[in-house]
Amino acid sequence: MIKIAAYTRITNRSVVLNGEKIFTAKGENSLNLTELYRNRGIDYPKFFKMDNLAKSGFLGAELALRTLGLDTVTPKKGTAVIFMNSSSSLDDDIAYQQTIKSGENYFPSPSVFVYTLANIVTGEVAIRNKIMGESSFYIFEKFSANNMQSIIEQAFTNTSLDMVVCGWVEYLQGEMDVLVMAVQRDVVRGDEFNTLNINKLYDIK
Amino acid sequence: MEQLILDLKQQIIEVLNLEDVKPEDIDENASLFGEGLGLDSIDALELIVLMEKNYGIKLRDPSQGKQIFTSVKTMAEYVAANRTK
Repeated sequence: MIKIAAYTRITNRSVVLNGEKIFTAKGENSLNLTELYRNRGIDYPKFFKMDNLAKSGFLGAELALRTLGLDTVTPKKGTAVIFMNSSSSLDDDIAYQQTIKSGENYFPSPSVFVYTLANIVTGEVAIRNKIMGESSFYIFEKFSANNMQSIIEQAFTNTSLDMVVCGWVEYLQGEMDVLVMAVQRDVVRGDEFNTLNINKLYDIK
Repeated sequence: MEQLILDLKQQIIEVLNLEDVKPEDIDENASLFGEGLGLDSIDALELIVLMEKNYGIKLRDPSQGKQIFTSVKTMAEYVAANRTK
């Protein structure tokens, strides 16, 4: 059976890690991803160079995977990273457009440009955790637990796979909607990976 | 030259998002790449944009980059000699 061994739910207001609210936004402001990074004592300077989509997915994966006791050093051949969202890298595309919209002030930013692909976030998570398996990013019109279950179960037909870091990683213009799960085969811990339980976690606000 | 070196340090920190680095942490003679600040190839491109945007310097010969971006001090010397704004 495939189970959700750990998960992180990040919205504009709070962060829930395996059922426990671990961080909340201050006052009326949206949650600040850099404050969350510092609050959890994470040490990975490359975080500051990421765009907000990559920061969201990185933090979601980082918080969930550390609860499983997984290190960031050991190569993980049997692990895949599969994310999905609806706005792709539009948040960063808009930021990049700002650097090229003026003829007189035309300075395309290379560091912004490199994040104008949604699948960069899967790469960031894979690099951080030495994940060597499949890496994919799907774009859907809206969140769908059915699509998620179908894609992840298909991935697990690869018998060499024992874990998939997966979920919904959406960030657009300050609005974040993130559910990252560490889904494992043949483990004791966690609820079954099915649409009912995926929706239950996604409904956490 | 001292003011220019300080300006460059602050600009490098800002454009490269070196959040945990302060100007005084950067040794003006230390390597920017590899052992020093540990910058990467995307950072190098960002420094080229910085030179053009802030000082009006267009680097047309990529082979010059290795010498110019050796350290903050070599950057400052090149800026001082070639700036148009």
